[in-house]
Amino acid sequence: MAFVATLFFVSGLVFVVVRVLPGDPALVIIGPEGSPEAAARLREALGLNRPIPLQYVEWLTNALQGDLGVSLQYDLPVGRLIASRLPVTLPLTLMAALLMAATALPVGLYAARRHRRAGDYLAMAVSQIGVAIPGFWAGLLLILLFSVHLGWVQSGGFAGWSAGLWPGVRSLLLPAVALGFFQAAVLVRATRSSVLDVLREDYVRTARAKGVSELSVIGKHTLRNALIPIVTVAGVQLGQLMAGTIILESVFALPGLGRLALGAITARDLPVVQGVTLFVASTIVLINFAVDLLYIVLDPRIRYE
Amino acid sequence: MRHFGTLRPLAALALGLLVSPAAAPAQNLVVQSATEPPGLDLTATPASATAMVVFYNVQESLVKVDRHGKIVPWLAERWHTSDNKNYTFFLKRGVRFHNGRELRAADVKFVIDRAMNPETKHPYPDYYAAISDIIVKDDYTITFTLKGTTANFLLNLARQGSVVYPRESVDTLKSEPIGTGPFKLAEWVRGDRIVLVRNPDYHVKGLPKLDRVTYRFIPDPNAALAALKAGDIDAAMFGLGPEHVPELQKDPRFQVIIGETTNDVIMSMNNSRKPYSDVRVRRAITHGINKPEVVKGAMFGLGSVLGTNVDPLNPYFVDMSGAMPYDPGKAKKLLAEAGYPNGFEAVLRVAPQYYYTVRTGEVLAAQLQKIGVRIKIEQVEWGQWLSRVWKDAEYDLTIIGHAEAWDIANYANPKYYFRYDSADFQKLFTESEITVDDKARRELYVRMQKKLVEDAPVVWLYIHPRLAVTKKGVQGIWKDLPLPAFDLSEVAWAK
Repeated sequence: MAFVATLFFVSGLVFVVVRVLPGDPALVIIGPEGSPEAAARLREALGLNRPIPLQYVEWLTNALQGDLGVSLQYDLPVGRLIASRLPVTLPLTLMAALLMAATALPVGLYAARRHRRAGDYLAMAVSQIGVAIPGFWAGLLLILLFSVHLGWVQSGGFAGWSAGLWPGVRSLLLPAVALGFFQAAVLVRATRSSVLDVLREDYVRTARAKGVSELSVIGKHTLRNALIPIVTVAGVQLGQLMAGTIILESVFALPGLGRLALGAITARDLPVVQGVTLFVASTIVLINFAVDLLYIVLDPRIRYE
Repeated sequence: MRHFGTLRPLAALALGLLVSPAAAPAQNLVVQSATEPPGLDLTATPASATAMVVFYNVQESLVKVDRHGKIVPWLAERWHTSDNKNYTFFLKRGVRFHNGRELRAADVKFVIDRAMNPETKHPYPDYYAAISDIIVKDDYTITFTLKGTTANFLLNLARQGSVVYPRESVDTLKSEPIGTGPFKLAEWVRGDRIVLVRNPDYHVKGLPKLDRVTYRFIPDPNAALAALKAGDIDAAMFGLGPEHVPELQKDPRFQVIIGETTNDVIMSMNNSRKPYSDVRVRRAITHGINKPEVVKGAMFGLGSVLGTNVDPLNPYFVDMSGAMPYDPGKAKKLLAEAGYPNGFEAVLRVAPQYYYTVRTGEVLAAQLQKIGVRIKIEQVEWGQWLSRVWKDAEYDLTIIGHAEAWDIANYANPKYYFRYDSADFQKLFTESEITVDDKARRELYVRMQKKLVEDAPVVWLYIHPRLAVTKKGVQGIWKDLPLPAFDLSEVAWAK
């Protein structure tokens, strides 16, 4: 129920905001060299002169039937456009998320175990740099190193999955590193502080006093209990990874959802902006839902009515 | 030895294959494009990203503007007019569209009729407003009757909105344009690339020289530079800024092409708003700007200083760059005369989508500060700029490049965002539009330019240079752009 209400609210908000913003799709299409009369005729043809509530009801009715409208600039159904971009954005986000988790969890654990020792300070210093470096800059540095100097991977563009698994993964590797590695910095800090909290608990001290092996102390007693805050932060970051693709897809010239959204906003391609926002909002709501479910798995004491 | 003997004919055959034209290495070119075209229909969008792919490469017009800015016969092999009101075009025979059908006069009539029809939402219906009648005499002869003498009639037929396409393809122009051009559209992977392939039946013998052109959309200039250096693209036609030029000029792997365009970068003043409604203020601002320094500061010294609307590629260009020289003393005096001895505050609205507008604005703000004009730079997103500045003239000052060739008409339109309203200028312009005699027309253009300099409705700053970078060995790229076209038909790799 909350899921539907959130989506309903988001769709209404986006619909109004993109229409209230200054900027007219017809003007952007016709451009400054075209004639204003031509722009006026186009506006009429696009149905933009009708009252906003009427346009919204119409859009919502169609959207509920799975029809998100037709892109103003590409003249293609929005649903098809979004679907065509998913083979780039979903694997990219997934690879970035895996990289993020695979880096953040061990480093965070390590830093917590080496609390206030050299290893901890080093991990914190490195992660501080990671937090400070913007993704697009990291992306450019990676391109300079791996494409221009070493020539290991292409500087951008997407080879497509039809050529095979490896060419596809290869073209997403650098952006995934730029996205995941640098997002990992936040998760490292969350992991470290969460693990530190648990390490101070009495039951950890008891376990150690009982002579339980350190591996078991960390794996069984500490990590599991520390996971809830970590999963919460990771869930939020998964959403941020999706947002991060907007910029990185531009830097790496990838035909993904983020670039579709950015182009659509610049061109005032309203149906696409709405469609993409709705899709991303649904995904984030779903991620949150999944995080809530994970809580139950991680902590059997949590129950939802 | 006998074994070798039997192999000899085979070896000769293999050698023959190697040197025969069929075995010549494929000529491919990968070009960077900063923006993806918003659609490939030239009759629906004025976007230069669309022209870059389609205009002269996929679709062509009756006449063409060549690399020197001259109007030459193209799909029409010649034309004839005795009174400058009735034009007869004789079409080249045997020209085939990419769908195999031969081009006929009826196709030409169809596309121009369609452009003139307000229902089709053509972006430039004005270009065809002078046409009163189009008659197909036979399959290869077509006559245009004009309402009156129209000096730019032929030029308008050479523009991107006048391309000829087969009527049966009208519904698919946006995604699969077909025409008579040297290249055929092979594939458009949205968001990633557009691929053109050689049209083997092209009507000009020996062209095109390339077998395949791939446009890759790389929006970020630094990423484009990296792609060039990594060897992933062969050419960047527009995507790089002047700041990249010195580095690339030193690199032996590349050639940098710097040429002229028709893109005049101007700072417009809202002529309907105080204090810019006072010509003394507008002149003061013009005198307060050191244009060579602007070009140095904002464009790394690339781009020629401009004095009036008409660009150096135009045959009627007059060098007026020194007519209103930098003179802060005179500027201050003029401001005092106009009642602003202490200057005033102004908002300069620019769209960062065009990087040069922001950089130029920063230099201008520093310069105008010295004559007491205190500028606040406000950056607005492109869509907003179009609505607020261009459409509603809701601004004091703004900077933008006007890329269109022959656009002096804007100054004769009091509703245009300059809000410049001069009856004298409008009269001169109307006369120039119906004057066909070259000498008389040139005289009118000189008078118009002098009038513009005198009235200073905007400050003409500089011509945005053409900056193209290619790998060494790429030949045949147009140096200057007399109109926004990116003709690749003669481009080839050096043998």
